[in-house]
Amino acid sequence: MLKYIIKRILMLIPVLLGVSIIVFLIMRVLSPDPAPIVLGQHATQQAVEAWRQANGLNDPIYLQYFHYLQGALTGDLGTSYYTKSPVTKEILARFPATIELAVVAIILASFFGILIGVISAVKKNSIFDNAGMFLALIGVSMPIFWLGILLIIFFSGYLHWLPSNGRINPLLEPIRVTGFYLVDSLVTGNMNSFKDALQHIILPASALAMYSMAIITRMTRSSMLDTLQQDYIRTARAKGIEEGRVIIRHALRNGLIPIITVIGLQLGSLLGGAVLTETVFSWPGIGAYTVACILKSDFPVVQGVVLLVATIFVLMNLLVDVIYGFLDPRIKYSKKEV
Amino acid sequence: MKVKNSSNWSESLVQAAEYVERPESQLKVMWETLRQNKAAVVGLIIIGLLVLIALTVWGSELMGKQILPYDPNYSDMSESFIPPNASHWFGTDQLGRDMFSRILAGTKISLFVGVAAVAISLTVGVILGAIAGYRGGKTDTFIMRLMDMMLAIPSILLAIAFMAALGKGLDKAIIAIGLVSIPEYARIVRGSILSVKENDFVQAAKVIGNRSSRIIYKHILPNVISVIVVRATLGISSAVLDTAALGFLGLGVQPPFAEWGDMLGRARGFIFTAPYTLIFPGIAITITVLAFNLLGDGLRDAIDPKSRIK
Amino acid sequence: MRKVKKIMALALSATLILVSLTGCGGSKTGAEGNTAPKASDTLIYAQGAEPRGLDPALVDDGESAKVMSNIYEGLLKYNKDSTKVEPSLAKSWDVSPDGLSYTFHLQQGVKFHDGTDFNAEAVKFNIDRQLPPQVTADMAYASFVYGSVKNVEVVDPNTVKINLTSPSTPLLNNLAMIMAAPIVSPKALKDNNNNVNQAPVGTGPYKFVKWEKDQNIVLVSNDGYWGTKALTKNVIFKFIKDNSARVVALNNGEADIIDGIDATVVKQITDSGNKIFQAPGMNINYMAYNTSKKPFNDQKLRAAISQAINVPELVKSLYQGYSEPATAILPTFMEGYDKSISQVAYDPTAAAKTLKDAGLTSLHMITYTNPRPYNSATGQSLAEAIQGYLSKVGVQVTIDSFDWTTYKEKLKAGNYDLAFYGWIGDNGDPDNFLYLLSVDDPTMNIARYKNDQFNSLIAKGLTTPAGADRNGIYTQLEKLSATDAAWLPISHAETLCAYRPNVENFYFHMTGITPFAGVAKK
Repeated sequence: MLKYIIKRILMLIPVLLGVSIIVFLIMRVLSPDPAPIVLGQHATQQAVEAWRQANGLNDPIYLQYFHYLQGALTGDLGTSYYTKSPVTKEILARFPATIELAVVAIILASFFGILIGVISAVKKNSIFDNAGMFLALIGVSMPIFWLGILLIIFFSGYLHWLPSNGRINPLLEPIRVTGFYLVDSLVTGNMNSFKDALQHIILPASALAMYSMAIITRMTRSSMLDTLQQDYIRTARAKGIEEGRVIIRHALRNGLIPIITVIGLQLGSLLGGAVLTETVFSWPGIGAYTVACILKSDFPVVQGVVLLVATIFVLMNLLVDVIYGFLDPRIKYSKKEV
Repeated sequence: MKVKNSSNWSESLVQAAEYVERPESQLKVMWETLRQNKAAVVGLIIIGLLVLIALTVWGSELMGKQILPYDPNYSDMSESFIPPNASHWFGTDQLGRDMFSRILAGTKISLFVGVAAVAISLTVGVILGAIAGYRGGKTDTFIMRLMDMMLAIPSILLAIAFMAALGKGLDKAIIAIGLVSIPEYARIVRGSILSVKENDFVQAAKVIGNRSSRIIYKHILPNVISVIVVRATLGISSAVLDTAALGFLGLGVQPPFAEWGDMLGRARGFIFTAPYTLIFPGIAITITVLAFNLLGDGLRDAIDPKSRIK
Repeated sequence: MRKVKKIMALALSATLILVSLTGCGGSKTGAEGNTAPKASDTLIYAQGAEPRGLDPALVDDGESAKVMSNIYEGLLKYNKDSTKVEPSLAKSWDVSPDGLSYTFHLQQGVKFHDGTDFNAEAVKFNIDRQLPPQVTADMAYASFVYGSVKNVEVVDPNTVKINLTSPSTPLLNNLAMIMAAPIVSPKALKDNNNNVNQAPVGTGPYKFVKWEKDQNIVLVSNDGYWGTKALTKNVIFKFIKDNSARVVALNNGEADIIDGIDATVVKQITDSGNKIFQAPGMNINYMAYNTSKKPFNDQKLRAAISQAINVPELVKSLYQGYSEPATAILPTFMEGYDKSISQVAYDPTAAAKTLKDAGLTSLHMITYTNPRPYNSATGQSLAEAIQGYLSKVGVQVTIDSFDWTTYKEKLKAGNYDLAFYGWIGDNGDPDNFLYLLSVDDPTMNIARYKNDQFNSLIAKGLTTPAGADRNGIYTQLEKLSATDAAWLPISHAETLCAYRPNVENFYFHMTGITPFAGVAKK
């Protein structure tokens, strides 16, 4: 197993290198010149040239990439063209917001997804099942940004129950411990802040969770249906074990493998969905920031973010595979790889 | 679909002859199963309707005639923000344009981009996957690593980056969305080829002297076609979603054209004052995507041998 | 089955708890047991985007300007209601007779927020960093503000002398600008590698506390301020991208003041009991004729087209009262503006005749699709409106519209008869507007206008000392421009802000800054 993990991590490196090259090429070769954006309305041609020279944009492409790589390996991802602040700082300032959103979303999606999926499987073809599956179908068909807008119209505009944007009321910001407001406010015992942070995160997290929840629901149902048909389930029932235990202890536990795989794979779509959700809700996360930087041709930031995201994504896939291996004794990651 | 490994190649030949399904008959079976799936039929009907709308709008544009209740691009500021009523079924937007006409006009764009993007992904993906699967070895590794790299970046970020690089506009959106999905098709095709390549009856067929194309036609194609059809149908639905997302962010079709995502993006400022400008485009997107999802799901069930036995 | 029901019950109760925690009734402001600012002594200003940074030498955007105007001060500042300059960190100044030397007598006993002293050395440090050889290419306004400066001398700790390479009257206005001119603590610059974008230290009535990226910037009142201390203890700049969400924030009480609103939301705001602030704008929205080729190398034809357009009517229908029709290029509050200036009078009949006689029946017009600060109706709508007027006098106009970035390329290329543009003033000096018609750069002078008399007057205005004579030069330039009709000035956009009724003394200065020191919250 260990060998497998190490091998996979080693294989990560060329993939990540490749990712960084792809993004580098897209941004530097194809994207519009950042100089006019950075230097502003009054920039003269001279100033533009001078700036390009100073930032190495006139060097041959492979040299530019080499300098970039040098820096990246030492943790220096460059400086944002737009704010002249280190890229790492800009990313770190906004990352906790996205992580908090994604974590709450995945918890919501998993919890409700598995719940509805299990019940739908158990009560197959009932009204609940049909309604649940229909809801799931709508969930994967609805554009995430539209769902967000609908939630805002209803819960914010009509009912006035919840705020429509932002992460917290600035007057209620908790003392920074982790950067996650929900955690920080609980840790410092500030219940007003916790309530406010919760109010702000509910709508965007729900919008973000919808798509994943739908997928998890469908997968749970089909996995449960498969498992419930197995012989050992029949045996358990014949033994007289209470139905609830049968479902959870036996069926769900064994059916969990594909569900976990799906949950792990949702991370990719969550990151993508975060971009849109953050835009709709003005959530100060890395998704909306990256889009803004792509549009401003702020190369260093975009490269930094994509590299970071790709790394996380690839690591998460690895994690899922490893968990998969642990859960299913039938899978052996031995020398002969599947 | 288990084939017993046999050392006797003539036995393999017989098995091959019995086993191989012609691609045409497989499709026929798929269709039969599909017809019985009510949900899929609903999806198909909706798609039919959408295609009809799109073609009608496109046709009328080509002929220079106006078939929609209003010109979707005609802006009259004095008519702006009219809530849905008898003359404007979906109301008017911030520039006084009739929303119903704009939504119908948008059908054409969304379907076109969806199909075109999938066509690109499919073509390039299948070719790459075929090369990788057939050649194997270094070519295979290289192509698959490339696909891995593309998959490592969240698709929307990749699409946005492509758009920022290529510029705004409908054609660039198609290319961007198309590029993003290539890895999936490549993987499917490569997987199919690999799984079949090793099988004895294919080896046997080769020994007999069947040309590669025949092998592909009789052995590889049946496996692959149905999976690709399912993937492509679902691919259209995600392409429509991606188009809307790019439009929402302001990167897609440029004004004054009507694209559902763009309509949503521009109407964001009126979320509290004129919510109807945001509701209808979203419904349009959802229905379209839903239809393709229903069809795709139905097709997937139809090709699954388990459901056929049922 | 019981287990399943148990789980369902659990889920339901968890959901209920969640809902009750989020609660009905919206969010309330105010904190308890917290050192955070309280609602009653905090002013919350919501704007549409976050600043680029807070180092005056390194930024060029309006969002940064508003925040910086509370943290920093320059040698001079603008009068509250106009662009006339007044003493700030410099309590008085003398100009040498040849106009090449400005001696500033500085306020004494002023300290920066980090405790270091403000003095002539600090001024020299700040200007030197924006002069060659220290100046860097990304200091957007360095050459604009200090372009005419030869060097800076420290005469004594409270006296600094700026020597110029050539006389330049706008220098005083430049020194009151929020870009490049404010004085930053030299210690802070040295500690932060010459970049205080994230760690601003000035002398102003508010100190920087923190910046939560994409969310807000918090300022607190400077207790050691040398002037009148701020009336409100805390100021929070909040960033709400969505225009409608900003309005909702105001109506909910989540923000005390908001900007970036347009005519469509005014009613919504006033209906909720809030007030509107209409600030005159230091900008001009105009249509330009391409004078470098036919047909508009002929002044008569330019004038004829201008005659065909009813500007006041056009402005009223496009902007509904939130832009003023322009009778001159200069906004009315600027030096050099005079009531007697007017453009070609509206006369469609005469226009039609002239155009018919000349055989002018079609024109090519380019425009931009988005709104601009000086044009809230978008370039597209403006172009279409003018197309309407011109069709009434027998001229068919084809419009090509582009997004802003592409549009600027098209302007450079020069393939148009008519184009639209605008200008937002930088320093409140009349030269800042009128020089646009004198430069060679076609991206600034999109009419490609070249008139020697005009250019020599521009040069003269630069070196004439401030006063009635100088103002007369600019009035003359305006009249020349009106006769020559290279531009059709259309409107000056006002800046619209909204504020809660318990906010007093708020004003949005025409140069785009929002000093909060005098603002009180009842």
